[in-house]
Amino acid sequence: MGEQNKSFMNWIDKRFPVTENLERHLTKHPVPKKVNFFYIFGALLMVIFMVQVITGIWLMMFYTNTEEGAFASVEYIMRDVEYGWLMRYMHSTGASAFFFLMYFHMFRGLLYGSYQKPKELVWLFGCFLLFLLMAEGFLGYVLPWGQMSYWAANVILSLFGAIPVIGPDLQVWIQGDYVLSGATLSRFFALHVVVVPLLMIALVVFHIFALHEVGAGNPEGVDIEKHRDENGMPLDGAPFHPYKTFSALPAIGIFFVIFFAIVFFAPEGGGYFLEKPNFEEADFLKTPEHIAPVWYYAPFYSILRAITFGIPFLGITSKFLGFIIFAASIAILFVVPWLDRSKVQSIRYKGIYSKIGMILFAASFITLGYLGTKPVNELRTLIAQISTLFYFLPLLLMPIYTKYEKTLEVPDRL
Amino acid sequence: MIRGLIFLLLTFFSGKLLPAGESECGSLESCLEYKADVHDLYSLQRGLGVYMNYCSSCHSLQYLRWNRLQRDLDIPETILQDDLILNPEIKSSDYMIFGLNEGDSTAWLGASAPDLTLRTRVRGESWVYTYLKSFYEDASRPLGSNNLVLQGSSMPNVLASIQGNQQLSDKGFLVKVSEGSLTDEQFDNSMKDLVNFLAYAAEPIRRDREKNGIFVILFFVIFTAVMWLLNREYSKDIK
Repeated sequence: MGEQNKSFMNWIDKRFPVTENLERHLTKHPVPKKVNFFYIFGALLMVIFMVQVITGIWLMMFYTNTEEGAFASVEYIMRDVEYGWLMRYMHSTGASAFFFLMYFHMFRGLLYGSYQKPKELVWLFGCFLLFLLMAEGFLGYVLPWGQMSYWAANVILSLFGAIPVIGPDLQVWIQGDYVLSGATLSRFFALHVVVVPLLMIALVVFHIFALHEVGAGNPEGVDIEKHRDENGMPLDGAPFHPYKTFSALPAIGIFFVIFFAIVFFAPEGGGYFLEKPNFEEADFLKTPEHIAPVWYYAPFYSILRAITFGIPFLGITSKFLGFIIFAASIAILFVVPWLDRSKVQSIRYKGIYSKIGMILFAASFITLGYLGTKPVNELRTLIAQISTLFYFLPLLLMPIYTKYEKTLEVPDRL
Repeated sequence: MIRGLIFLLLTFFSGKLLPAGESECGSLESCLEYKADVHDLYSLQRGLGVYMNYCSSCHSLQYLRWNRLQRDLDIPETILQDDLILNPEIKSSDYMIFGLNEGDSTAWLGASAPDLTLRTRVRGESWVYTYLKSFYEDASRPLGSNNLVLQGSSMPNVLASIQGNQQLSDKGFLVKVSEGSLTDEQFDNSMKDLVNFLAYAAEPIRRDREKNGIFVILFFVIFTAVMWLLNREYSKDIK
């Protein structure tokens, strides 16, 4: 039997390199032995991506992508489709989980320098994935065609309209109509279920290929490749499979406990995962009293709203400037690998300025997120403006403080 | 460092630095808290009774089917046909769509009567409960009644006969001026039944998911435990 299997694999391997790739990416791929809990989010992101794809396919089977039918079809899924409610709640909770995990995954990257040479491309592909995830979430949010779907989409699409000269035409081109309508809905559906997911799958593959080329990091910022045993396996490393795959499984279990606790007992997430106004069908004559983005966009939405001033002599309105700063808040993440000039990777060995910078960055991100879900008033706008400043400052000043601050000696081994 | 971060955030959010959110319940400072109980079958049945008697002449439940209602609320076939559906042309698989159409409603009351299937999810259970209890006499309104939660509401006070009439005092409180057919407690309970029923209508599966969710979670708890033990064995190799 064993002989037969071997010759079968030989036959395959001569035509398609299965064994070679399994060894390269799983059974002989070295990963650091000791990492902390921040390193589990990548695996969880893969899991939630699969959850979204599978539940999405089932939702797509019953969803109607027309202005007249969309809202009712979601209720049809919730009531008449067997386990449709489960698919829908898993998908909506999954969206929130996706962002939650993504933010932690990226914060891990910032903390432990997972973007530093030679991991720049891993980080860049990851940033593109964040961008695509944001697009995917936005497109998907429009599909149930509730009040918040409609009006939040209006707010975001009007940003394109705020671009000087080409803005209004661009907005009409994106919408496919002079107002947000069924034409917009059906193209958003196509983008949400085909275009963006395909790009995401491609980028996930790139992200992982690049990662496997340069090797996974660790919270110490130690290069495990330096010391190897006689078989070429790093002394501080272990093969990805079975050691990392099995260490991920309990974490995946815990994740699903929390995930399904939300799906079964609080699918609306207190109005943060499924917003109340979205249980009312879109009505283009009736604007909701308070348009709030879902929590995962709130930090960026807050930045957008914090810009209450324009640059009149350049003809830049406050809305357009807000759009620029909002776009910059995401774009700046792409260039982080070139902003950090530190000799060490991990926050553990970086100097005090890096530590203060990270705290300020995280605190302002959370503050902006909190403010983004609340209606504006003067005090909140002021706090949002200060927070926006402290979101950018730690990143913008990074080239200076990381170059000059005193760092600690990184140990040789994990 | 993480501990420092959490401390910083706690001090920031715990201090009353940020102004409190505006009240959801109109001119009331806050809504009367009520969390619907969809597991009390008798309450849901009573709530359906209140709905059919006081709401259904104007408000439809366009996403709820008769036979779903029958199955979930354990209603005998004959009662469904003879006492609830009434019209023999309506099949039990039809949606619960009732009399008043949009045109008539707008002509007679000034606004269309909204569909109530998803109302508790749009407004929240506490809001609906508070709204039902906050009608008062107001001679300045075309139909003689107003509501503290939704000022200028076009809905007439159809509950006056059971609740009795309320008026607005100078200080802005509701004062009862005449008795209805139910005592205060009975009326309260009826409104709770009604909100329970509406919460059921908004999400019929809620009863199932809250009942069975625990098994899914238990499965993953056991899964986690087994995987943890398995991982412990594997990780011995690389210690």
